[in-house]
Amino acid sequence: MLTLESKIYKQTDLPVVVKFEKVNKFFGDLHVLKDIDLDILINQVLVIIGPSGSGKSTLLRSINHLEKVDSGHIFVNGRMVGYLEKDGKLIEESEKNIARQRMQIGMVFQRFNLFPHLTAIENIMEAPIRVRKLKKKQAEEEAMQLLVRIGLTDKRDSYPNQLSGGQQQRIAIARALAMKPSLMLFDEPTSALDPEMIGEVLDVMKGLAHETTMIVVSHEMGFARAAADRMIFMDEGVIIEDTTPVALFSNPREERTRLFLSKILH
Amino acid sequence: MYNFDWGTFWNYLWPVTALQNPLIRDGLIVTIYVSILAQLAGVILGLFAALGRMSKYSILRGISGAYILFFRGTPLLVQMMLLYYGLGVMHIYDFPDIQLGFFTISGAIQAGLLALSVNEGAYMAEIVRAGIESIDPGQTEAAKSLGMTSGQAMRRIVLPQAVKVIIPPTGNEFNNMMKTTSIMVVISAGELFFGFTQINARIFKPFELFIAASFYYLALTSIWSLIQKRIEQSTEWGYSSKKVNTIQGSGTKKTRTPGVFDRLVRGH
Repeated sequence: MLTLESKIYKQTDLPVVVKFEKVNKFFGDLHVLKDIDLDILINQVLVIIGPSGSGKSTLLRSINHLEKVDSGHIFVNGRMVGYLEKDGKLIEESEKNIARQRMQIGMVFQRFNLFPHLTAIENIMEAPIRVRKLKKKQAEEEAMQLLVRIGLTDKRDSYPNQLSGGQQQRIAIARALAMKPSLMLFDEPTSALDPEMIGEVLDVMKGLAHETTMIVVSHEMGFARAAADRMIFMDEGVIIEDTTPVALFSNPREERTRLFLSKILH
Repeated sequence: MYNFDWGTFWNYLWPVTALQNPLIRDGLIVTIYVSILAQLAGVILGLFAALGRMSKYSILRGISGAYILFFRGTPLLVQMMLLYYGLGVMHIYDFPDIQLGFFTISGAIQAGLLALSVNEGAYMAEIVRAGIESIDPGQTEAAKSLGMTSGQAMRRIVLPQAVKVIIPPTGNEFNNMMKTTSIMVVISAGELFFGFTQINARIFKPFELFIAASFYYLALTSIWSLIQKRIEQSTEWGYSSKKVNTIQGSGTKKTRTPGVFDRLVRGH
C-alpha cells in the first residue's frame, strides 16, 4: 500500500517546480556536481543528505543562483534560473531579472543571517517593502501574521542579538515566507543550533510541509521521517539514491548509503 | 635662561582676550568649518571610491585605484601646493574669493579645503572598504535570496552595518583633520595656525604663541573625543538593553529608544 507521501512522490503528472538537466559545477579542479538530473514536484518535501563535500549545499544554492553552474540547465516553475540561452550558449541574466526570479524562492541559512541592525519585525518587513513594494502598513500586517504563525509576537521589537538561536531561525523562516515564495530552500537549518532549540525550528518547518515545495539539506532524520516524502542521498557530486524516507532508512540500495546512515543515526 | 612671557601667553590662550584678535577668531572659525567640510567631503568621496574599487567594471576599479594610489602615496603638503598653484597656472581654476553674505571664502581656503577633501577621500576609501568587507557575506546572500539587487543589498543591509565599523576610525580621521588643517599655512589660508604665525611675525614670541596655539588644537580634539564617544555608544543595536537586564535581574528584555545613530542612518 502506498502512503500519502509516496503517492505524491510517484505521481508524475503533478507540475514540476524545480528541474535540473545535466547540471555540472566545478570549484577549480573539483567537480562538485556531476551531470545532475532531478525533478522536484509541487508541494513535495525533499530532504537531501550526504557527507560534507558531497555537493548537497551547492545543489541547493544553485537553485536560486547563489552558486553559478558551469553547464546544464536549472528551471524553476518552467523558467531557466540565472541564464538566458542564445544560439546554444548560456548568457547570465541581468541582475534585475535574477533578483526577480529569487523573489519566488525563499531560503533559510545555517547561520540564520538575520539583519542585526533591524528588529525581528523589520527583518520580516524589509524585503516586502523594498522588493514587493508593499505599503509599510500592509507589510506590517503580513509580518504580524507570520509572527503569530511562528509564535514570536512578543519578540517583534527585539533585535537578533536579543534572541536565542532557535528564535532567530524561526524569524529567518518568517522573513523568507514574507515574500510568499512558491519554493523554500533550507540549508542545514538546525545544524548551528543548540540541541534544545532544534525542535521549535523543525515544528515550524513541519507546519509548512505540503503547503509549499520544500528542499531541505539536513541530517535531522526525525524531520525526514515525519515530514519528508522524498529523500536523496548524495556523495561526490552524484545522486546515489532517490527514494522515500521509509525505503531509504529500511532498505538502502547502496553500501555507502548504509555506511553513511549508520554514522548519522546514532 | 629664556624668560617666558606669561602675560603674552595668557593673553593669547585665554579665549576672552585671544578671540578679540580677528586673526585668531577668524582663524578658529576657518579651522572648524574647513575641518568639518573636508571630512564630510572625504567621507562622500571615500564611499564612492570604495564602491568604485569593488565595482564589477574594470574602468571604475582603475579610476578609483589610481585616485587612492596618488593621494595616499604623495604628501598632502605637495598636493595642496600643486592644486593651489597648479590649477591656477593651468587656468583650470583661478581660486577667486567667494562671497557668501558677510562671509568670504578666500581662494587659498578653497584650495586648502579641496586638497584636504581629496586627500581625506583616499584614506576614507580604504576605511569604508574595510568596513564593507568586514560584513559577513551571508548578509548579502540573505538579502539577495529575498530578491534584492546588489545595490539594494548594499544600501539597505551592508552599509548600515558597515557604518558601525566605519565610525570609530572616521572619528579618528576627523581628530587628525582638525590638526592637519594647520598645514594650510603654506598657502597662507587664514586658519588658526596661520593667525598665530601672523601675530608671531609682529611680536616674535614663538614659544608663547605656539604653545597657546597647541592648547587650541588640544581643546578642539578633546571636545571632539567626547562627541565621538557618544556617537559610538549610540551605534549598538540591542546590546544596551542587556545592561538593563543585569541591573534589574529580570527576564524581560526592553528595547532601547532609537539614538542619534538610528535617526541618521535609518531615518527614524
